[in-house]
Amino acid sequence: MKILGRKKLIPPVIIQTLRTHPVILALIALVVVFSSLYPERFLIPLNFKTILRQFVTLTLFALGPSIVVVTGSLDLSYVGIWMLGGILVWLLIPILGMFSILVIPLLGLATGLLIGVIQVKAKIPSFILTLGLLTTYSGLTATLSGGYPRSVRGYEFITAPLIPYLPTAFLWSIPIIIAAVFIMKCTRIGTYLYAIGSNEEGARLAGINVDKYKILAFTLSGLFTGIGSIILFQHLGGAVPIKLNLMTMVWPLVAIVLGGTPLIGGSGGPQRTILGALTFTVFYRGLYLSLLHPERIQLLVGLLLIASIVISARGLKGVTIT
Amino acid sequence: MVMPMDASLLEVKGVSKTFDGVVRALDDVSIEARQNEIVGVVGENGAGKSTLMKILVGVYSPDKGELYYRGRKVPFPKNPKEAAKRGISIVYQEKGVIPWLKVYQFLFLGHEDKYVKFSRLQIDKMKKHASQILEELHVKCDAEDFMYEPALSTQKMVEIARAILSVRLERGDDDITPVIILDEPTAPLTIEERRELFSDILNMKKNASFIFVSHIIPEVMEFTDRVHVLRDGKLIAHYDLSEEKITEEDMFRAIVGRKSSEYIYKPEVKRVVSEKVVLTVKNLTKNGCYYDISFDLHKGECIGIFGPAGSGKGEIIRTIAGIMSFEGGDLIVRGQKVKANELPHVRLGRGIGTFSGETGKELFLNWPIVKNISIVNIGKILRKFIPVISFNAEKKMAEKIVKKLRISAPSVNTDCYSLSGGSKQKVSVGKWLERSPDIFLLEDPTIGIDVGTREDIYKAILEMQKSGISMILVSDEPKEYSILCDKIMFIKGGRIQKVLSPEKFRKVMAT
Repeated sequence: MKILGRKKLIPPVIIQTLRTHPVILALIALVVVFSSLYPERFLIPLNFKTILRQFVTLTLFALGPSIVVVTGSLDLSYVGIWMLGGILVWLLIPILGMFSILVIPLLGLATGLLIGVIQVKAKIPSFILTLGLLTTYSGLTATLSGGYPRSVRGYEFITAPLIPYLPTAFLWSIPIIIAAVFIMKCTRIGTYLYAIGSNEEGARLAGINVDKYKILAFTLSGLFTGIGSIILFQHLGGAVPIKLNLMTMVWPLVAIVLGGTPLIGGSGGPQRTILGALTFTVFYRGLYLSLLHPERIQLLVGLLLIASIVISARGLKGVTIT
Repeated sequence: MVMPMDASLLEVKGVSKTFDGVVRALDDVSIEARQNEIVGVVGENGAGKSTLMKILVGVYSPDKGELYYRGRKVPFPKNPKEAAKRGISIVYQEKGVIPWLKVYQFLFLGHEDKYVKFSRLQIDKMKKHASQILEELHVKCDAEDFMYEPALSTQKMVEIARAILSVRLERGDDDITPVIILDEPTAPLTIEERRELFSDILNMKKNASFIFVSHIIPEVMEFTDRVHVLRDGKLIAHYDLSEEKITEEDMFRAIVGRKSSEYIYKPEVKRVVSEKVVLTVKNLTKNGCYYDISFDLHKGECIGIFGPAGSGKGEIIRTIAGIMSFEGGDLIVRGQKVKANELPHVRLGRGIGTFSGETGKELFLNWPIVKNISIVNIGKILRKFIPVISFNAEKKMAEKIVKKLRISAPSVNTDCYSLSGGSKQKVSVGKWLERSPDIFLLEDPTIGIDVGTREDIYKAILEMQKSGISMILVSDEPKEYSILCDKIMFIKGGRIQKVLSPEKFRKVMAT
């Protein structure tokens, strides 16, 4: 009787949501733990602002690749697009003026298209292909910049504060997130991409042009990363590093996997990546405030990635992640 | 020790096996293999052949039953190594070969410890030993070839040699007669390669006994000394081919005959097939699969391609679907000649839809029913002005199909992996029912499902025929042809033998 009563208390919609998005429970648990451990540091507006700032960084990096992961491939080129794009802006600003910022989405689009075509035609693992491209881009960035980080002025308006305690970059990321979720959930393209990840042979039998849609997935990923990088460019200081930072690359991956998009594809997608990004940010901020050594935090991040990959691949008992 | 020919080398008595406490995979099955003979184990998919073989090599353990080797009772093996100790080894259907190993490395894979001296491998000794064995067993390849180099049939022979070898090494006795299980060994081979393999295996008979698992009747008839027929997990028949006179039809009936054989669908008044030709196949050829296939498919007509497994019928339908390409001849769809290497999505654009009953091939198992039905019908449920999926229309469409086909599921949002085999099949058919392509290709549409579900699926297919959809059917179930087809082509060895009307076909199958 007691259990029955409790079941009625929680609407089925919420139970269903929690069942398919178990990461929400992890998120709530983390928030509760950290706020009870050190409320004076965790439960302050400044911390929320920082969490939101980091969330934006992660989300904008992870959103595009999570579209590719749905099809069962992997796209690691995001950091490369952001770095090379930034340097191209610096190079082009004397010629094109303010419009040169648009080179970043163009670069993203071209990169995605290139990866897609190579991957489909050469039939090679996308992991190694995009990793190779990332390395190439980072080398190209260092070459073009002459070996120094270059800062660009004039785009401060992108992240100029509008609402106190709410980073403007976060506001900008909302329409991008909505667009990504919308494409994946409500259009033919999204449906076909899920189909390819779920059962490629079946997709072929159902008359889907698998190669075309795989290319499209990479192109979309590149485009979303490109658009996101406009914001990230200013959000991360208006200057672009010339050295590849491993953490910038790994964290978005953690966000994707933690959110519940298995690397074998077929389920998950941008909407889960947002949850993953938020959970990871809270996790990271909480540890950061705990005065642990940054090295130890890194260690925990690595373990978290491994654990979430195992869970998303095998499923938890009683939880079907589909 | 010389044993008489009739003595039983390996005997399994009363083996039963259930999975998850429900599915009865094997029910009191007994088979035996005698000294130096080839014994066939035949049955449909799901008849229990594979389960039985897996028990013999220690992949599964039986719930009940006894195992005798050379007349002595022995426990069932727990793993392949123990099976080899009891004289049993298996050659799997596919994926047994490791292409980048050399033949001698492959032969001794897993037995390297016998060739270790001072913790290093004696490569020369291995090569010499390998050459001896290849010669003894008449395998036509060199010990230093890479595994991918010899012909496919020779690769199979190397696998068989390896199986024999593993028994010998495990027992430390070179004169032993091992029992080698051949699990559908000819599946990946062409007709010519099959011939080759058979003559080679017959040569090997003096070195081993074979259990030959297959569902290809002519092969079994020609090639084995005795045959055990399994159906629905039970031993249905046992034929001694040297003593009894058995025809292919006898065996066919033993294999497919179901308890439910009383069920015959009464087709309604025969439809009139229109004169309009929608698909022309002219001298279509793919070497090694089929040759000189020609026929016209009219609007609303259903042509069945009937023949034993391996006759090329599946390849023909897959070629038309765009899954395989062809090498010679023409394929003309609605008056338009098409290219040989077109992919399925292009063919679907020309109005050709494909349905394969093989479970899991078509469905997106982690998706709800509604998505599985809408996947080929997205064009219908997009909103008018912006191409966005209308979830309402999607749901209505799925509910219509679920109701029509009587799919038993709590709701259209139920994930497909939780459905029964029959319901899964219905969902697969349902999406094409909604799409209604001009030409519908059916491959084993009712494989592995129960009679009631079959009836529902036949009804749906017949309804599609009435609305003018043309079809081509390939199946292992003869009854299906007489229910669904207007014309049945017999095919054998990749060539059309004769064309029959359904009435004639029924007579031929009845005699």
